[in-house]
Amino acid sequence: MTGITHKKHKEGPLGRAFNVFNVLFFLLFALSCVFPFYYLFINTISDNTMVQKGLVNFFPIGINFNNYLSLRDVSDVGAAFVVSISRTVLGTLLMVVASSFVGYLVTKKQMWQRTFWYRFLIITMYFNAGLIPGYLNMVMLGLTGSFLVYIIPGIVAPFNIILVKTYIESIPAELEESALMDGAGYLRIFRSIIWPLSVPILATIAIFGAVGHWNSFTDSLIFMQSSPKLYTLQHRLYIYLNTNTNLGALLGGGSVDSATAAQIMENTLNAKVIKYTISMVTIIPILLVYPFMTRYFQKGIMLGAVKG
Amino acid sequence: MSQASIRLTGEPPVKHRELGDTIATRQLYILLRILALIMLLLAFFPGLNPARVTALVNKNMSLFTSGTSYTSLTADSGRALMRGWVSPEAFRMLYAGSLAAILGILSLVACACMSLGNLRYKRLGNGILMAGSLILIAGLAGIYLAYRQFAAFPEQNRVNASFPDAIFLFAGLALLALILGLLLQFALLPRAPLGMKYEMHTRYRLFLMFLPFAALAFVFAYLPLLGWRYAFFDYKPGGTLDASNYAGFKWFSFLFTQSATRQDILRVMRNTLAMSGLGILTSWVPMALAIMLAEFKSRRFSRTIQTLITIPNFISWVLVYAVALAMFSTDGFVNGFLSILGITSSQNYLMGSESIWLKMLAWGMWKGVGWSAIIYVASISAIDPQLFEAATVDGAGRFQKIRYITVPSLLPTYSVLLLLSIASILSNGMEQYYVFRNAQNAASIEVLDLYVYSLGIENGIIPLSTVVGMMKTFISLVLLFVANSVSRLVRGENIV
Repeated sequence: MTGITHKKHKEGPLGRAFNVFNVLFFLLFALSCVFPFYYLFINTISDNTMVQKGLVNFFPIGINFNNYLSLRDVSDVGAAFVVSISRTVLGTLLMVVASSFVGYLVTKKQMWQRTFWYRFLIITMYFNAGLIPGYLNMVMLGLTGSFLVYIIPGIVAPFNIILVKTYIESIPAELEESALMDGAGYLRIFRSIIWPLSVPILATIAIFGAVGHWNSFTDSLIFMQSSPKLYTLQHRLYIYLNTNTNLGALLGGGSVDSATAAQIMENTLNAKVIKYTISMVTIIPILLVYPFMTRYFQKGIMLGAVKG
Repeated sequence: MSQASIRLTGEPPVKHRELGDTIATRQLYILLRILALIMLLLAFFPGLNPARVTALVNKNMSLFTSGTSYTSLTADSGRALMRGWVSPEAFRMLYAGSLAAILGILSLVACACMSLGNLRYKRLGNGILMAGSLILIAGLAGIYLAYRQFAAFPEQNRVNASFPDAIFLFAGLALLALILGLLLQFALLPRAPLGMKYEMHTRYRLFLMFLPFAALAFVFAYLPLLGWRYAFFDYKPGGTLDASNYAGFKWFSFLFTQSATRQDILRVMRNTLAMSGLGILTSWVPMALAIMLAEFKSRRFSRTIQTLITIPNFISWVLVYAVALAMFSTDGFVNGFLSILGITSSQNYLMGSESIWLKMLAWGMWKGVGWSAIIYVASISAIDPQLFEAATVDGAGRFQKIRYITVPSLLPTYSVLLLLSIASILSNGMEQYYVFRNAQNAASIEVLDLYVYSLGIENGIIPLSTVVGMMKTFISLVLLFVANSVSRLVRGENIV
């Protein structure tokens, strides 16, 4: 449909000027969305002395991957990486299973008080007790400082339930009826008919859910105040962005003499490079799955507009 | 065949359903379900925690937490355990007792669920009920024994053992449940005939499958509403809520009478409204971008650009901040680039509070505008091409087609999104402003959500921050209703 307004149309000078402006504008915009990541990347693979002097701006100098290798020795980053990966995998899995199952159940007209219970879930999108009552609730439940706080509250996701419900309603009812005729139970129908048929919508919510889990920062900030071991990678990155330590100090450089320490500072991770390298580690998973995500964009956003 | 038709209509065999289904049992089962629900709720209520036999157990901990997390149970007693004021055995006893009590309550709930089935289910449920109430009573006895141990420790001024009255309440309810179970099982319900199968009405089966998720929603979305009571007490973290520190509407009037607080609120509201207002003023930009994207002759070019400008939407605010640092801080790209051009500059563009609202808007747009454009791109591609062709035949130029076809067909979507953004004018979220906050810009970057966070979590002023949060919730709900009414009036459709 693109370019539809000027199909087979002779361009006037205004139209041509607009075309030029349009191309330039979007090229610049796209550049601004890509260049920062490129800049971060070339700085992490360049010679750290050059990076420190601010000489790496457009091209890497002295390419090496030592920064990524030295990062293995920074244990809290590794721990945060494990926390983030675990919550992303577990949290997304449980959310998808729950959303699909609940989305299926609420399409069943026979369910006792279905409308009430459906609204009971959906209405939670529109009100919020607030940050502090939510925090006190987690304290009361003993979930602060526990890994479970990352996963359990996100299992029931009303918006995703709406998406799945809308999708399942579009599946021909005859499929299910004939299975019922053949004596299949609801669980069986869910497993062998509904689940396979709703893979596209499940993939959509899985991807968006996973990105949400990977990017989550606030819950780590609020609920893990006294459990630094359970900080998410985003939280850890935030802390590194705001401190100016070098790896020599991080690894307990007290045992080396000052000349060696200076050497370490020059050649290994200095503050700037640490920040950039951890940033890259945090971005890379997103950029890796990004190409697979793009095809679900329109589906996700359009289905969101059709609320049931 | 008969089996299949039964399932289709959702009716179990009639004779089995009616067995034991008298008015008396029906009433008793309703009572039993209410009892199970009450006990389940009580287990979440910190004020009535029977496991709080010593001051070492946190006042804000419920029976549920005491019985499920040993770490939380002993969280405040590290020192007491280390110094030997109390023994770990006493805590283990307390934990085991609470766990048993929780299991007992869960059995009650299980019985309440099974009572929705046929006689066979009901009788099994009663067995579980009786066993459960006995386990509950045993658990309470265990808690009592733990209390005796705590009371026997010499350092009573540290341990502060006290008998929790809630034990009586729970024990009473447990006895009631036990009596109900005995009554139903041995006096009112007939024996299940041989060969009777476990059956339950489809509508209840479906409901029971749904129930765990409703429970999760209850615990994480409805239960926090209980926290609003903190707004009415002079509460300090780690303290308790009781008659002695009841404060009435003190914290509500605090907002208006305390000049420092009032000024804070005014400042924060100004920031909030300014940033949301800027967002609303620029809310047409994604639509404009989508129209511009649709003007490219090459579909592939347009798709590629779209893919690239959507990237920032999928990275976190922390990463946006990392990008900002890499570009604009003292040793970032901009200064490096300037020095290539021969301009020595070491300005940190992220510090300072000048035009911070505009900077925040710019970052917000960089992150979100590409993504927001997608919905309009989809709408444009849904426009009937014949409209454009007809317009071309009629001699309409390119901009005329945009003006008279594209824009009008996008306006409904735009108006919905606009109304929604007006309804959420107070909710900017805190993440963006938290990561970009520094000593110099703190005053002008603090929006309502961030203010609540820093007041409640960073400074521990729980009641006031709860009040502010409550106000926000109410105003947002009112705004949402207004927006919805406007939408109904203008478009004849609900937006929520």
